[in-house]
Amino acid sequence: MEATADKSATPPAGGDLAGAPRARPGSGDGGMLGGLRKVKRFTFVDVVLWLLRIGVAFVVIGGAIGTLIKGRYEASQWVDFVVFGLTIGGVYALLALGYTMVYGILRQINFAHGDTMMAGAFSAYFAANYFKRNGMLESDAVIAMVVTVLVAMIVCTLVALTVERICYRPFRHVRSLAPLICAIGASFFIQHTFRAMYGSTVRSFPDTSWLNGDVSLLGGSMPVTQVLVIGSAAAAMLVLYLVVHKTRMGKAMRAVSEDRDAAAMMGIDINRVIVFTFTLGASMAGIGGILYMLVYKQVYFFMGFLPGIKAFTAAVLGGIGNIPGAMFGGIFLGLVESVGPALFLDGLGVPAPYQLKDAIAFTVLIMVLVFRPEGLLGERRAKRA
Amino acid sequence: MSYLTKISLTTVGLCVAGFSAAVAAETKGPVTDDIGVVVIEPGAPILIGGYWALSGAEISLGLDQQRGVELALDAHEGTLLDHPVALVSEDSQCTAEGGQTAATRLATNTDILAVLGPDCSSSAAAAAPILWNAGMVSIGTSASSPTLTAADRPEGLQGFMRTMPNDLAQGLFDADYIYNVLKCDALASVHDGSPYTEQLVRSTNSRFTELGGKVVATEAVTPTDVDMRPMLTNIATAKPCTVYFPIFTAAGAQLIRQMPEIAGLENATPLAGSAMAAPGFLEAAGDAAVGLKFAKVDLESRGSAYPALLEAYVAKYGETPTEVFHANAYDAAQITLAAIEKVAQQDDDGVLYVGRKALRDALFATAGYEGVSGTVTCGPTGDCAEFKGAVYEWVDSDPSTFEIGKNPKKVYPES
Repeated sequence: MEATADKSATPPAGGDLAGAPRARPGSGDGGMLGGLRKVKRFTFVDVVLWLLRIGVAFVVIGGAIGTLIKGRYEASQWVDFVVFGLTIGGVYALLALGYTMVYGILRQINFAHGDTMMAGAFSAYFAANYFKRNGMLESDAVIAMVVTVLVAMIVCTLVALTVERICYRPFRHVRSLAPLICAIGASFFIQHTFRAMYGSTVRSFPDTSWLNGDVSLLGGSMPVTQVLVIGSAAAAMLVLYLVVHKTRMGKAMRAVSEDRDAAAMMGIDINRVIVFTFTLGASMAGIGGILYMLVYKQVYFFMGFLPGIKAFTAAVLGGIGNIPGAMFGGIFLGLVESVGPALFLDGLGVPAPYQLKDAIAFTVLIMVLVFRPEGLLGERRAKRA
Repeated sequence: MSYLTKISLTTVGLCVAGFSAAVAAETKGPVTDDIGVVVIEPGAPILIGGYWALSGAEISLGLDQQRGVELALDAHEGTLLDHPVALVSEDSQCTAEGGQTAATRLATNTDILAVLGPDCSSSAAAAAPILWNAGMVSIGTSASSPTLTAADRPEGLQGFMRTMPNDLAQGLFDADYIYNVLKCDALASVHDGSPYTEQLVRSTNSRFTELGGKVVATEAVTPTDVDMRPMLTNIATAKPCTVYFPIFTAAGAQLIRQMPEIAGLENATPLAGSAMAAPGFLEAAGDAAVGLKFAKVDLESRGSAYPALLEAYVAKYGETPTEVFHANAYDAAQITLAAIEKVAQQDDDGVLYVGRKALRDALFATAGYEGVSGTVTCGPTGDCAEFKGAVYEWVDSDPSTFEIGKNPKKVYPES
């Protein structure tokens, strides 16, 4: 799903292809005067941006070289960092899809999406505990997990559709921040409803024997959980991609994303498409919530907040409104969080580099927004007259 | 200096002196106090403030202490000196920002006599100066950071005291245990950036180095982190024999779950801190909790009245305590009520007058109070709790088996 793109409308950055500024027609300027104008155009903001570039380049290149020279980490540990990053990145990507699809259709951010995941995770926790108690989680693990995933997806969908009905539909034709504020309110409402219902303690997703152990892979070994999470996240994203690109409803979603009014005139039921989009996003959040619990095991009312923020960051990183962008952004963010502190900061002698994990992630976001506001895979949008 | 300048400076000086004198002492009814006097009309409630983490990830810590205070008020049947006693609670969220907001709200209520809490040092560091600026003494109920009661603490913390032991003592104990009992000479420490965990880790690291050990890694996480594997992999490269992590429940549970997955840490002993001493930790960590040791104040050195408090707690709230510091909060409330009783004066019309500085001084003069958390005797800097360390070990992951002495079981020193 892409936002309307028109590269011809994109203003040329920094002059023509030859790199020289275009002389104003009829001004007679050129040569030395043109060069002076170029110098004048080099503003304070440009200086700051160049310093930023140099600073980031120093941290990235200098830090990486320093770390590699130190030789503190073995190859297997770098592989571990990448696997850890892919694991959390897969979860971010699944969540980011919900943000990006809703944005693509409604041009609004659903800030309650992280809490939608929390609601699904809580339901899955209760379902899994039920299967744990009656032994099915061990004896009929596939059936138990399929039902658990379905429960999570259904609960997520119900929550997401309620949010859509209350926070978005009434404001659909109003240009205001009301839906955004309403979604933030819904986020807190969902959190505190679950806190009131189930308390504030951190609960543990039941342990299962089939999740223990390692899998031999490419000459090394990986924990079963991480293989399962990375594989499931990739499969879920592939299914979603196919739904959006190979089905009639997917085509309708893309049409609504391009131009909602034109799509309506072509006979597309906009409400149906929006409901389908929320359902699809919520289902991904349900799967993401389960995968999150399989790896990190903890369930509590606040668990959706930070992953939600990170997933939103991932969606923006990849180019909000762009499905492959959200997937890429999630994986990229996970890898940056996991590999970044060791690779970039260790070599610079920064003490306790992992406490700066979030700082690195959000610095990456800022850098992307400064130098490529449309995101890594996003396209520049045409300016409307 | 010109004549005009001299006159101006003299005038300003006189104004400042006069204003200071006016602000410094206040007389109401029979009471004169350097900071101010709170007047409580007949039938009006005696207000006690309180602020703890009542939302967010550390709510179990805060709620437990709020309940401890409520039980203390219940023990007085909700009245003192023929006035009802009311608790005004605010949410400090276990953060500096939350503490600042909570303290600001409490400070605006000039009828509040004293403030109990907070549970977290980060909140206390931001909030206590705001409260003391409003003349309110505050009694920390589990904020244990050394800087809060250091001899050179800033003026804003002169009104802060606590019924929780200072982490300096805990750090010495922890380092001794790791070096002498675990026979470990390579320590990796993990804190979460909060004043409590950071200063405890610093204190432990410092003592460990003095003993002859080497601190091979000091890492930090954030309390909301879920993925500890990269940080643990980083630690594994330093080959520690003990990983010491006196952090909070959610992050601590993740760390203990993920540690066995990390190559290079198979033989390292995990040692946690007092935040893990709660049934809530068992819920968060599941089976991974079994075998985990944590160092904290010896819970078996509690006063003889503790079992009765526990019984009252379960009867009132229908569950076992979510944390262990309700006893410290209970004692904080008790010494506060005792101090109010001591300094309050009543006039013929039944109006109650309480001097704020007198109340602060009476609280700081508390000595030999046999509380449920142990003997409470306050030093000049506001440290009131005695410290006796112990190491406990979880033996069962079922939260319903929580019983101090059995699960967790005391493993050091042996009884």
